[in-house]
Order: sequence, then structure tokens, then C-alpha cells
Amino acid sequence: MSTAFAESEERRDLRKAVAELGRKYGRDYFNAAYREGRKTTELWEEAGKLGYLGVAVPEEYGGGGGEIGDLAAVCEELAAAGCPLLLMVVSPAIVGTIIAQYGTDEQKQRWLPGLADGTSTFAFSITEPDAGSNSHKITTTAYRQEDGGWRLSGGKTFISGVDEASQVLVVARTEDHKTGNLKPALFLVPTDAPGFTWQEIPMGIVSPEKQFTLFFDDVVLPSDALIGSEDAGIEQLFAGLNPERIMAASFATGTARLALELATEYAKTRQVWKAPIGAHQAVAHPLAQTHIEIELARLMTQKAAALYAAGDHMGAGEAANMAKYAAGEVVCAAVDRAIQTHGGNGLAEEYGLVQMLAGSRLSRIAPVSREMVLNFVAQFSLGLPKSY
Amino acid sequence: MNIVVCVKYVPDATADRSFDSSDSTVDREGVDGLLSELDEYAVEQALLAAEDGDGEVTVLTVGPADAADAVRKALQMGADKGVHVEDDDIAGSDAVATSLILAKALGTLEYDLVFFGMSSTDGTMGVVPTMVAERLGLPAVTYGSEITVDGSTVTVRRDGDVATETITATAPAVVSVTDQSGEPRYPSFKGIMAAKKKPVEDLTLSDLGIDASEVGLGAAWTKVLSFAPRPPRSAGEIVTDEGDGGTKLAEFLASKKFV
Ligand SMILES: Cc1cc2nc3c(=O)[nH]c(=O)nc-3n(C[C@@H](O)[C@H](O)[C@H](O)COP(=O)(O)OP(=O)(O)OC[C@H]3O[C@@H](n4cnc5c(N)ncnc54)[C@H](O)[C@@H]3O)c2cc1C
Ligand SMILES: Cc1cc2nc3c(=O)[nH]c(=O)nc-3n(C[C@H](O)[C@H](O)[C@H](O)COP(=O)(O)OP(=O)(O)OC[C@H]3O[C@@H](n4cnc5c(N)ncnc54)[C@H](O)[C@@H]3O)c2cc1C
Repeated sequence: MSTAFAESEERRDLRKAVAELGRKYGRDYFNAAYREGRKTTELWEEAGKLGYLGVAVPEEYGGGGGEIGDLAAVCEELAAAGCPLLLMVVSPAIVGTIIAQYGTDEQKQRWLPGLADGTSTFAFSITEPDAGSNSHKITTTAYRQEDGGWRLSGGKTFISGVDEASQVLVVARTEDHKTGNLKPALFLVPTDAPGFTWQEIPMGIVSPEKQFTLFFDDVVLPSDALIGSEDAGIEQLFAGLNPERIMAASFATGTARLALELATEYAKTRQVWKAPIGAHQAVAHPLAQTHIEIELARLMTQKAAALYAAGDHMGAGEAANMAKYAAGEVVCAAVDRAIQTHGGNGLAEEYGLVQMLAGSRLSRIAPVSREMVLNFVAQFSLGLPKSY
Repeated sequence: MNIVVCVKYVPDATADRSFDSSDSTVDREGVDGLLSELDEYAVEQALLAAEDGDGEVTVLTVGPADAADAVRKALQMGADKGVHVEDDDIAGSDAVATSLILAKALGTLEYDLVFFGMSSTDGTMGVVPTMVAERLGLPAVTYGSEITVDGSTVTVRRDGDVATETITATAPAVVSVTDQSGEPRYPSFKGIMAAKKKPVEDLTLSDLGIDASEVGLGAAWTKVLSFAPRPPRSAGEIVTDEGDGGTKLAEFLASKKFV
């Protein structure tokens, strides 16, 4: 049993420090970057320099030597300050974890220092147009070359941050395992590799971070583009999934906290009858409910992170999926209720809530949809029959 | 170059601050406290000044148990060690008593320079640095907006309303730092992790040879007789311009004795 339901003092101090940095930038900075077609480079670089992006990278590679829970705290606090960084979920969490756990010594030496200080950014790509939630159907294939290198062919979709990344970690199949249940192999593909092109998908989400469709047209890769081993691919992929879900949950609870904070402030000050609107239970109760749901989702996220740090990957998997589910639900509810609390202002750009609307729905869909989480829980937690 | 930075633990200025009705002192229970934001500038300048030498930066605070948070924050920013003077009898101390405790605590430390903030964010008197300098017989170069340390001399630029002064003093000296001196750093993750291993010395009044009767609320030279919350802002008056807007504005200003 854990001894206390409180995070360590260092984790709490980290939250405070990151929140302070987040406030320096804030929603206005984030939204302006989106409007003006810029990136949040200044924030990313400063967070990187302070070691916030590399908290979970091992110390020997210049990282903080912390846990995924530390990285999740950074992500949550930045989101709560109005700067939700999707690439934190991808670059340090998924790609960082996979390289740190499964990369060869050379790969670790080469890639981890840049992840530790945020100077290199990595995208992660598994989703394919015809596979979607069913990863077993992905067809991007790597063909072994005579010189020991690889030739990659196929495509991906909805991949975040490729324009900001130096490399994309691509989940592919090897030609020996072209069909059947996925036996993946993971490749690092430089974004400037010949034959690799991408196209932006116009999205309705207000974020400087973009999504892309990727095309691999016989992209030639050296032998060391393969991360870890060809045979341990599925294990490697799974290693990245728990951090991904813990981060996605934190990304969502951070935004939910911000929406609730804005709604609460507004409910205290907006007055159209005798008392501020927050005095009406029809306004107050949904906000109280949101607060409860946020705290529950955060607690489950912290549990998942603690189990993961303790090496209980099965336990962490269940908790991380539940946390991701709860966080996705609450961020949708929080933004929805915050808008309702604001009346017409909820849809006015000035109040910043309408900009959060599409982004809040993202947390129900990616990186794994709520339905797929429910499938997982039905099947693995409850032992119900598999439907697909 | 060894530097001591004096920092104060204050109630968060962004929260609702109030007074304790039992003794008319600041209510420190009801709000979160933190390292006074203005003192972060002093920590930053001390760290910069000590950066290329082999000296140490010590952070010194006088305050309740929770004031350890202020020391920890300064250690996270990069200070080397901390000193925390804590004693129930200190509660309610005024600036005179605070300066006595700080001066005595400084007497136990090795230093070339003592850095202060320009003012606390709660008491805001801005007098403690000079009081400490007076007690220790040290030169005080205050309100420095640019601080340069060269060998054993410290030079500050002091921006006044009518002139900018450049003042130099020889160590040992007291320096106070304004919020124009340069943005304080955020604690890095490594700084946060390293801080928990840095030494913090806890001292009481008796460790410093101070008699309880010299400090605390009872020894304060002034007394807060009463306090009242600031009245809520009343709604403003809206002047509708019907051709006579200018006149009405002038009348309003005249009625408030602004013109
Ligand atoms: C409600 C209230 C009632 C008060 N009543 C009285 C009173 O009756 N009589 C009276 O004389 N004073 C009174 N004070 C002021 C007194 O308690 C001061 O807060 C305190 O003594 C220090 O003065 P200051 O905060 O104004 O510091 P300043 O002189 O504004 O501080 C300048 C710098 O000194 C250093 N410093 C200040 N305090 C500390 C500390 N504790 N530890 C380490 N460094 C420090 C910091 O570097 C700070 O930036 C009162 C204050 C309040 C808010
Ligand atoms: C903004 C954004 C960023 C993204 N970034 C990345 C990225 O960086 N890298 C990456 O690889 N991917 C990324 N994705 C893709 C994301 O992971 C997928 O969109 C997600 O996994 C869902 O897949 P899909 O869109 O193909 O939906 P589909 O699989 O087509 O699902 C459509 C609907 O059907 C439901 N459904 C499907 N199968 C079942 C079933 N068996 N039982 C019940 N319901 C089912 C789903 O829950 C969903 O509601 C991103 C997506 C978005 C929107």
C-alpha cells in the first residue's frame, strides 16, 4: 500500500515552478502563436533548458532522472496555464521512453541528450488511414536491403508535429510479417529523408501544433534506424503506451482545470439578478461536479504513474487507460460547462473558451478512443467477451 | 566572494490577504506563503555575482516553520545553503527587531556581501537592509538596479527620479536590489532535486544570544490599533455625452477636488 495520497515535495515544487513558467506565457501567447502561424518555440526552448521536458530522461544522458509522473506534472501544469503541448505526449514521453528502454547504447547516446534539453523533437506515427483504431491492419512496410539497411514504404495519418520534428518514430511491419497480427518494428526516420513527404491536414483545433498525412515512398534508411530489436517490437511499442496514456490524461486534466478556473471566476463575478450567477445551484453544481471529476481523474493518473514507476506495467496499463478515459470525459465536460456558465461570452473569442472546444474533444479520440478504452476494460478488467 | 541573501517568507500577494483579529498582525495561517517575489531578484543577483568565483551563496530567513519553503525555493534556484531563524517569540516582530535578529544571525556567518530585496511584498517598508547595515557598521548601497561585483568592490546603479547614481562600496557591505535588476531564474528540475540535499541550519533566539523581550509583538516600537478591510469599489458614474460631456467631466473632477 502506498503510505500517503500526496505527491512528493519535489513533485509539488516542480508543479509550482512549471506553473510559474506557464503563467509567463499563458493562453494569450498560445492563441497568438496559433493565429499568427507561429510555433511555441520560446516556451519549448525555455522549458527544455530548465530540464522540464527532460525530467524523465536518465541522468547519464543529461536528463533529470525523474519519473513519468514528473513529466506528466509538467504537461498538466503547462496545460492548466493555457499552453497544452501535445508534443510533450509524443516526443519525451513516447519516443523518449522507447529509446531510453530499448535503444542500443549508440542510439541512446545519440538521441537522448536532445530529448533531455528539448533541443530535438520527435514525432510518433502509428495511425494509418485504413487501420485507425485497429493497429493490426497497418501496412507500412520495411524491406531489408542488401547492405543491412532498410527501405520503407507506406503512409500514416493524423501525425502531430512533423513540421517541428527532426525525426519521426514510425511503427511499421517488416516484410516477413506483412500480414496477420501486428509484429511491429520501430524506425526513426529523419524528416528530411529523400522520399519522405507530408501534407498538413486542416484541423479545427486551435493549437500551433499541426497534424499531417505522411507518405513514405521507398525511403532508404541505415541499419541503425531500427530502434532496439526487430523481434521485440511489440514489447517496445507497449512500453511507450503507458507513458502516452498518462501524459494524454495530464494534458486533458490540465485543460479541464483551466476551464473550471475560468468558469468559477466568472460565476463569482457575473451578476444579472440579486446575487452572482454562481449562487444558483444550476450553475454551481456542474462546476462542483467538474471539480470532483477532475480530482478523480488526476488521482487515477497519479496512481498509474506510481504503478508505472514501481515497475507494475500490467497494473499501470489498466490505471492509465482508466485515467485517460476519465480525463477525456472531464475535459469535455469542463469546457462544455465553462461555456454554459459564460452564456454568450462562452462563445466569444475574447473569453478564450470557444478556442478550447475542439481541442477538448481530442482527448476523447486520441491517442486511443474512449470506446477502445471501454473495450479494454470490458475485456481485461471484467472478462467480458471480445466483440471485434 | 561569499554572499548572504536575506529573504522573507510572505503571504501570496495574489491571494486574499487579511489581518488576524486577535493581535492585528498579518494573518499567515489563512493564505499560502512564498518567497517574496522581490527577494527573488536579490537571489538572482547574488547567484550571478557568485557564479564565477569559488564563494558560496547562503540564504537567510527569519520566519515561522513554513518559511522553510522560502529557503528551499532559493536553494532550488541555486543557493548553496540555508539558515532559518525560527522561534515562537519572534512572532509579531517589527522591522527594528527583525533587523536585530538578522544582524545577529549574520554574525554567525562568513560573508563579503549581504544582499536584500528592495522591500518585502507584505510589510513593504524597505527599511530592513539599512537597519541591518547600521547594526553591523557596514556601508549600504541600496536600490541597485544594476549590480557589478569586481574583486572586493561592489558597484550599483541607482535609478532615482531626477538622477541616476553610480555607487561603489568595498566589501563587507550591504546591497539591496530592485526589480529592475534582471528577471530571476526559475528553478530547474535539477535545482529542485538538488535542493533537498543542501544543508539548512535552524537557529533559535537563544542560539543567537537574543533575549525574547527584545523581539516579538511586545517589543514593537509601534502598535497597530485597528484595521478595516478596504471598502468594496463602488460603481462608477456614467456620463452620457449630450453635447455637454466635457463640462460634466470637469464638474465631476472639480467635485472630487482633482481640478
Ligand atoms: C499588519 C502589519 C503590522 C505591522 N506592525 C508593525 C508595527 O507595529 N511596528 C513596526 O515597526 N513594524 C510593523 N510591521 C512591519 C514588520 O512586521 C515588517 O514586516 C518586518 O519587520 C520587516 O519589515 P518589512 O517587511 O517592511 O521589510 P522591508 O524593509 O520592506 O524588507 C526589505 C528586505 O529585507 C529583508 N527582510 C525583511 N524581512 C526579513 C525576514 N523576516 N527575514 C529575512 N529577510 C528579511 C528582505 O531582503 C526584504 O526584501 C507590520 C507589518 C504589517 C504587515
Ligand atoms: C489531433 C490529433 C492528433 C493525433 N496525433 C497522432 C500522432 O501524433 N500519432 C499517431 O499515430 N496518431 C495520431 N492521431 C490519431 C489518433 O490516435 C486516432 O485518431 C485514434 O486512434 C482513432 O483512430 P481513427 O481516427 O482512425 O478512428 P477510427 O478507428 O476510425 O474510429 C472511429 C470511431 O469508431 C469507434 N470504434 C472503432 N473501433 C471500435 C470498436 N472495436 N469498438 C467500438 N468502437 C470502435 C472509435 O472509438 C471512434 O469513435 C491523432 C489524432 C488527432 C485527432
